[in-house]
Amino acid sequence: MTAAVIAAGLGKQYRDYWALRDCSLEIPEGRVAALVGPNGAGKTTLLHMLTGLLRPTAGQVSLLGRTPGDDSGLLPHIGFVAQDVPVYRSFTVAEHLEFGRRMNKRWDGDLARARVERAGIDLGQRAGSLSGGQRAQVALALALAKRPDLLLLDEPLASLDPLARREFLQALMEGVVEGGHTVVLSSHLIADLERVCDHLIVLSASRTQVAGDIEDLLGSHRILTGPRREVGRVAGVAAIVQETHTDRQTTLFVRTNGPIHDPAWSVQEVGLEELVLAYLGQPNATALPRPRLANTGTEVSR
Amino acid sequence: MIWLTWRQHRMQVLVGAAVLAAIASFLLLTGFGIASSFRTTGLAGCLATPGRDCTLVSALFNKRFSGLQFTIPLFLVLPALIGVFWGAPLVAREVEQGTHRLAWTQGVTRLRWINTKVAAMGAATLAGAAALAWLTSWWSLPFVRASDDRFSRGVFDLRGVVPVGYALFALAVGVAVGTLVRRTVPAMAATLGSYAVVRGVVEFWIRPHFAGPRTVSYGFFGSNPRSGLGDWVLSTRTVDGAGHVLARGQVLDINLLSHRCPSIVLKGEFPFNQTAVQACIRRIGLHLEATYQPGNRYWTFQGIEAAVFVALSVGLLALSVWWVRRRVA
Repeated sequence: MTAAVIAAGLGKQYRDYWALRDCSLEIPEGRVAALVGPNGAGKTTLLHMLTGLLRPTAGQVSLLGRTPGDDSGLLPHIGFVAQDVPVYRSFTVAEHLEFGRRMNKRWDGDLARARVERAGIDLGQRAGSLSGGQRAQVALALALAKRPDLLLLDEPLASLDPLARREFLQALMEGVVEGGHTVVLSSHLIADLERVCDHLIVLSASRTQVAGDIEDLLGSHRILTGPRREVGRVAGVAAIVQETHTDRQTTLFVRTNGPIHDPAWSVQEVGLEELVLAYLGQPNATALPRPRLANTGTEVSR
Repeated sequence: MIWLTWRQHRMQVLVGAAVLAAIASFLLLTGFGIASSFRTTGLAGCLATPGRDCTLVSALFNKRFSGLQFTIPLFLVLPALIGVFWGAPLVAREVEQGTHRLAWTQGVTRLRWINTKVAAMGAATLAGAAALAWLTSWWSLPFVRASDDRFSRGVFDLRGVVPVGYALFALAVGVAVGTLVRRTVPAMAATLGSYAVVRGVVEFWIRPHFAGPRTVSYGFFGSNPRSGLGDWVLSTRTVDGAGHVLARGQVLDINLLSHRCPSIVLKGEFPFNQTAVQACIRRIGLHLEATYQPGNRYWTFQGIEAAVFVALSVGLLALSVWWVRRRVA
């Protein structure tokens, strides 16, 4: 398994505060990773450091084996759709495609045109008059036409209505299937992500809290319910993430390391949204793979 | 990248070209009239004859075209507009609208992005400013010859090579301020302010010292022996025989004089005893001293001033490029 993205001890300090601090994560190649976290967790800052738009104050970052910002050879390999989907308002859609062609050596103009046309967007229309959904489609077409190895999207769904959201995700999935890219998609709309993502990173208070393949994460977490009691050790439970009590009932959100056969508990599988919310509610709980920074050659610096 | 630069800035460039064309037509239309009346009024011939007093012809000539005075403030402001409308939005609008996140994540590095934009707009600025400066120099030549004054403020600044330096500097200030401020309208205002301040400082405090000024002394009632040579007179002082400066300018202060020559006011007469005053002036050696830059230093001064502004421009543009590469996002 090779990693498309490695961050080690990554931090960004503005004058008087840290927008992101001590963030370490690793996204394997070929995954569609959801980057989830509350507002202000540093998702945008992290993505900007990945694209090279921002320079880290601390730590190191490597994309496809290159250092963003310093290695100009990286740019052709990444596609980026920034938050709020910036476009040149006075440019027509066709001019945006021309912009893409002129600004990129590797450029699949047919793909861009096909994507825009499939979304039913008029090439002669000015970008300033496009709807949010159409703008996002144009931006996605631009990013995909670079044929990037890594596609980074910063809250592309935030301003879209449910229908536009579905169409955007559909277009994204088609693009990913065709291109086989690694994708990092930040969002706080967890329900939408569940359909397209297979890898999850939860960023909270500027730290990585959860990281792993969604299948593994869902497989290793359970909700236990039973009559109210003091909780002791339960066989098969590696850690209790969240513990809630009502007058008569106790509910545990746990990470497991084996099957749970204790008849005192009824065991339920968890959904992605429950998992994310449980961890975000308990900022000290973590579910992280064992660090393997040593064999990537990346040193952790503070 | 050239395509993008043109697509993004074509409106500004076309408006600039239209303004330039309008001003050029105005200068051409009026310029030939000025040149021909310079000859037909006999002023050209008079000035060409050594020793002739052309004050009257010259005054008539100037009066005839006094309606064109408005061009001086117009041309003084023109370079600043380059900074405001071309320079300030170059980076600021991009960052303000967030499109830098689109532009800087394509295959082109942002170093190339900023270099291409600055080079293209810089070249357009140089070309436009050079054309206009040349035309203005030609157009205003009769006035300059009539008044024998290329050095005074509002004349020096509009002719020769300095306008090209000003225009480039204005562009550079705009780009730098826009890069630092990142918001278009405040950047435009700050550009205008910074440009005016720097121009003012150089004009009033630095330009007079580009070369050591010379001093000339002459009799209190005499005329400056340097007059008519196109010199830039920086200051005139009234000085006594011992070298004490009594006043700035040509001032006959009777009170001051009466301390030195009590006989002037002894009898309390009015008007004063002219002979006594004359005698006093002779006795204490009252005379005038002027510091000046000789007229033949004109092109040296033009060169130095242009070089100062070009150097400032290069510094500011380098700062902008560095800032775009390292700091903005």
